[in-house]
Amino acid sequence: MWYYRSPTIVFGEDSLSFLNSVKSRRCLIVSDRNLEKAGIVDNIKELLPEDCRTMIFSSIDQEPTFSQMTSAMDSIMKFKPDHIVAVGGGSVIDTAKVILFRYARPDLDFYDLTPLEYLGIKEAAKLIAIPTTSGTGSECSWAAVVSDEREKRKNELASSEILPDYAILDPAVVTGLPRKQTVSTAVDAMTHAIEAYVSTWRNFYSDALAEKALELITGNIAEVLHDPGDIQARNSVHIGASMAGSSFSNSQIGLAHALGHALGAIFKVPHGTSVGLFLPAVVEFNSTVVHDRYDRLNSIFPESMRDKTLAGSLRKIFATMGQPVHISDAGISKDSYNAAKPSLEKLAMESTGLVANPRESESADIHMLLEEVMG
Amino acid sequence: MPVFPSNDWVNSFVEEINRNRKYEDTAKDWEGDFNFVVEKDQKFHETVYIYLDLYHGKCRRGGLYAAGEAPKAAFYYSGPYQNWVRLINGEFDPLKAVLVGKFKLKGSMMKIMRYTAAAKELVRTANLVDTQFE
Ligand SMILES: [Fe+2]
Repeated sequence: MWYYRSPTIVFGEDSLSFLNSVKSRRCLIVSDRNLEKAGIVDNIKELLPEDCRTMIFSSIDQEPTFSQMTSAMDSIMKFKPDHIVAVGGGSVIDTAKVILFRYARPDLDFYDLTPLEYLGIKEAAKLIAIPTTSGTGSECSWAAVVSDEREKRKNELASSEILPDYAILDPAVVTGLPRKQTVSTAVDAMTHAIEAYVSTWRNFYSDALAEKALELITGNIAEVLHDPGDIQARNSVHIGASMAGSSFSNSQIGLAHALGHALGAIFKVPHGTSVGLFLPAVVEFNSTVVHDRYDRLNSIFPESMRDKTLAGSLRKIFATMGQPVHISDAGISKDSYNAAKPSLEKLAMESTGLVANPRESESADIHMLLEEVMG
Repeated sequence: MPVFPSNDWVNSFVEEINRNRKYEDTAKDWEGDFNFVVEKDQKFHETVYIYLDLYHGKCRRGGLYAAGEAPKAAFYYSGPYQNWVRLINGEFDPLKAVLVGKFKLKGSMMKIMRYTAAAKELVRTANLVDTQFE
């Protein structure tokens, strides 16, 4: 017994206009300052029905902690939104999920956001996610990454009740995404598809989504990087990234995420860059148990980027995209990396990314993988 | 072959935990006791508790208790007898079983979040015990 969960997905050009049909009288818009400055929040406001009152919360940092995420709860409680529209990257959408949780259950604390109990969140407000990056998959997932206040740690909180009701995938909002972010988020999405496909929790639904996601991303990312305004290519990568998100959300992430989250907690490296850094090494490590599945994924890569093995193809495509495969290329010095190794190992061992990775891993394996990316 | 649940079974389970290197590795900093609760159902007529005192990757003590007599524990992993049978037979992934409501897990989520791999390995150890069912 298992579930397949997904928001209603509105996709393709002009899909933002869906907002006009939303039955909302009081809508909280969650975004970040840059997107607000860029006018995207105003766009959203205009698209909502005329009689809909709005409140904007955009004080969200890059890697928000629980108290930052919930810093406006008093005003939000007074405003009483019937809808929450999250427009932004993974942190913004995760913040909206945490706000929804807190709004519905002010009596509970941060760690009470778990999949182990019924929380009664869904009735409080509808959640609409509009991703402005193509990669995190947060719009399709029931997890939220929350940075810890007291220590360097990223917590992966989850509950099926924070899964968005709607995800709007409009390619127009990603055509302006800078190259660096386009690369790191696409790498994140590829990692989602690959990890979900070999997870011990994989299933027919997550498999189908992972395969198509990888086809759409690897087949179009070169064009997106060559011509960032190419709406068709952007649309393919955007939908592919969301499918990858849906895939891991209905299966599980694995070791590359366990290691990537650990690295990202200690060094300020973008999430996609850190998981991608470990992905080829993790694929080689897992190959002893899932090589046939990796071969199948490898066959999906466009011929020009395909190597003999999936790890090889990943290194090839990462090289063309500018995704680092060694820590020094990610701006981390060997000395500081060595000094952080015990903490990295501990954080990775404590990650939920370990539970459904196809190959069992012990501290010694984590240690070896951390060494691998030293270069 | 010990019958589940019985004192013999608990003793074998404790031995398996203490032999399990993967558990020792993932739980090396763990401090906290567990109660595995075998709830009565159509096949099994009284709820029993399997208490485990777990410390730094080892099980210091284990025991079988009737409901109401078990020591209090920091964590509870509970499910009806017939689900335990399926779990011990390896039909369930211990965490997925919680996510689909076959088992319940109670205790500090802050702590359990950091030891999901250890918790999974602990429960999985139950299917390493050569078990006979009544
Ligand atoms: Fe990710």
